[in-house]
Amino acid sequence: MNALEARSIQFYYDKTQIIDNISMSLSRGEFLGIIGPNGAGKSTMLRLLCGILRPKQGEIQLFGKNLHEQSQRTIAQNIAFVPQETHFALNFSVEDVVLMGRYPYKRPFQPEDQKDHTAVEHAMNAANVEQFRNRPINSLSSGERQRVVIARALAQAPRILLLDEPTSHLDLHHQHTIMELLERLNNEGISIAVVHHDLNLASLYCKNLILIHAGKIYAEGKPAGLLNKKMVREVYGIEVTILSHPEKNVPQIFL
Amino acid sequence: MTKTIAIIIIFLIAIALGILVGPTRLDSEILQLRLSRVVLGIFAGGILAFCGCLLQGLFGNPLVEPYTLGSASGAALGASLGIFLFGAISPILAFLGSLGVGFFVYTIARIEGGLLRDRLILAGVVMSFLCSSLVMIIMVLGGRELYEILYLLMGYLGIIINATNRVMIIALIAISIGLVAFLYRYHRELDIISQGTETAAGLGIDIQKFSLVVFFSSALLVGLTVSIVGAIGFVGLIIPHVSKLLFGPKHIRNLGTSFLLGATFLLFADTLSRVITVYELPVGVVTSLVGVPFFIYLYKR
Amino acid sequence: MFLHRKLFVIIGCLILLGFISCAQEHTNSSYRVVSLSPAMTEILFSLGAGDKIVGVTTYCDFPPQARKIRKVGDFSNPSIERIVALKPDLVIVNLPEQKRIKSELDKLEIKTFISSPKSLQDIYKELAAIGDTLGLRRRADSVINYMKQNIQTVRTSDRKSVYVEISPKPLITIGAATFLNDLINAAGGTNIFEDLEKDYPVVGQETVIRRNPEIIILLHPEDASGRTGWQNIQAIKNDRVFKNLNPDHLMRPGPRLVDGFRELKRIIND
Repeated sequence: MNALEARSIQFYYDKTQIIDNISMSLSRGEFLGIIGPNGAGKSTMLRLLCGILRPKQGEIQLFGKNLHEQSQRTIAQNIAFVPQETHFALNFSVEDVVLMGRYPYKRPFQPEDQKDHTAVEHAMNAANVEQFRNRPINSLSSGERQRVVIARALAQAPRILLLDEPTSHLDLHHQHTIMELLERLNNEGISIAVVHHDLNLASLYCKNLILIHAGKIYAEGKPAGLLNKKMVREVYGIEVTILSHPEKNVPQIFL
Repeated sequence: MTKTIAIIIIFLIAIALGILVGPTRLDSEILQLRLSRVVLGIFAGGILAFCGCLLQGLFGNPLVEPYTLGSASGAALGASLGIFLFGAISPILAFLGSLGVGFFVYTIARIEGGLLRDRLILAGVVMSFLCSSLVMIIMVLGGRELYEILYLLMGYLGIIINATNRVMIIALIAISIGLVAFLYRYHRELDIISQGTETAAGLGIDIQKFSLVVFFSSALLVGLTVSIVGAIGFVGLIIPHVSKLLFGPKHIRNLGTSFLLGATFLLFADTLSRVITVYELPVGVVTSLVGVPFFIYLYKR
Repeated sequence: MFLHRKLFVIIGCLILLGFISCAQEHTNSSYRVVSLSPAMTEILFSLGAGDKIVGVTTYCDFPPQARKIRKVGDFSNPSIERIVALKPDLVIVNLPEQKRIKSELDKLEIKTFISSPKSLQDIYKELAAIGDTLGLRRRADSVINYMKQNIQTVRTSDRKSVYVEISPKPLITIGAATFLNDLINAAGGTNIFEDLEKDYPVVGQETVIRRNPEIIILLHPEDASGRTGWQNIQAIKNDRVFKNLNPDHLMRPGPRLVDGFRELKRIIND
């Protein structure tokens, strides 16, 4: 049984078709990269997978059970979604932000308990933000803020982590910190699907890739099989050079 | 913790002043007058500030206040219809007007599968304008009879609670307190939705249901308040900000402190309006005059 | 802490203000009346009952003795607390303007007298009624007679059309349900808006132009001559626009209407 399975998904935004008959899956323990040009439908597909959007046709299954027949709380206890950028209109402390990740487990009027605080500590340590715990969130850099958001996602104790372009606004250092963090989490058993615009990063860290183009799946497989000059020419419309990374042995694209 | 205690003490002082201070010597009749004002002041000030906090959190918009959803103009419309048809202000019509407008706002804002939040504000503003225009039309047709509408639009705490209306007022206050306590459960949702609707959806919040419940509960609470004391302005807009400045962003604190601060502020404003001039200045005027400089002062610190 | 210090100052001031305004005077009569109606204040003085009045509005300025009486508020916003503190036996209210204060007074079981005259006859009736209430019916009757004798209908075959303007923006005039309308009729004129049943209707400029009054009476300080489109109105062309009348003689339902009537007669029949 796959962690997430999508069958024959159709999705429209107003009258425009964004997703055209996509079937895909995220296996347990997988580290999947969803790539493709802008506007291809990657972010939409991610949101469909975690239930934020509903498909017009087709079915999404979460560990074998229909996603939309389950309560939003249950979904949130299993899937954590990290958006591309989070704007914090209210300047909560880092610890309070991470604590909000425990929401799916709280009943109305039920206060936070030891279990919640333990989960928050664990999450902050994993994302390496525990030293910021009392700082207001808006006083951190965008890379640090993104780690806090990931910590909040971890506090949900999810089995699946979905991230939408988690590194696009970050500098080189933070890009790799985040991807290494994701790699670590994947090794601990969390199934991860990341939407990436950076093909090289995706190739370096993701075990499998799905290429979405114009609302359809163009190709799927390992980075070595997927990333070639023909694909780049057809999908992105440019000529590139592709070499193998000296240490990791995965394709890297040079413009 | 000390800040909370300070606020409670100031609240109690405000009550004391509301009872003891005034242009005349205290006796049993004046005491009845003053107690009525204090009760209504706590009720109105607390509810308006509480709803302001609620709605500012729900919409993530610092300029939202209880009347943005059309409650005040809806109440004015209901009341002016009452005067026009029956010759008297009927609080029931005012309340129904407020709730009715809330319902219309919701209907206008609703789209298939879309998120309510963004459209509710626009719909509320539009309905407010519509209602105000309708009230003006009725005023022109009705003429001098509509003096009472002015009270409704400016707010009036001078309603005496006596044996006849005591039961109704207590019932209304009890309902309101019940609703306030019930709405407190949404403090987490309010914290979370400030980070965006996707974050909220991702954490498992049913945004449609949450928006609806909060919206209609506010409409109900504000409708009740406006139908009794009229549309007292400024409190619902500014007090939540004051509360956040003093106590930080978390709603588990702010919902309660907004209520307290709102009640305290209105009591002070009302006491002031009693002693400043020979007139009975509409309390809404005093809240603006007093509130603005105080807010600027607090904001600068 | 910053909060504490400022707060104590404010609280101290409030308490001081409270004590200062606490001083009370007691008048020397046994029946205590609060009048929220400037016209009724005048009437009470004309009945010789001025010493019974313990509270008035800021608009109660005639006769001059009225200005010395304790104020309880203005016309639209009287202070219930100040009224109650005077322990009145009777409060005279205007309807519909003071409906709210009346309902609060009713709750406290304070007796009210309603003044809401829509015609000359109403004024006479209210005079008689207040006379009865205060046990001064005979004096009331003599005031009524004084008014009736001095406001006698002028017999004329040449009625002039009259337009009375109470406020310029928006244009407020008098309709059929006013005593001023009665006065104009008695003085030999016809109110061009007598067909409107309301008391103080709002009208449009074009309607006034179309109805082409022979006489215009302005009860406010603004000028009417410069208005566009008005230059062809008879009253403007013939310079029959009158501004300098005392509005209190025409708008207050009391004995001074006699003076107003005299002016009206002169203007209309000249």
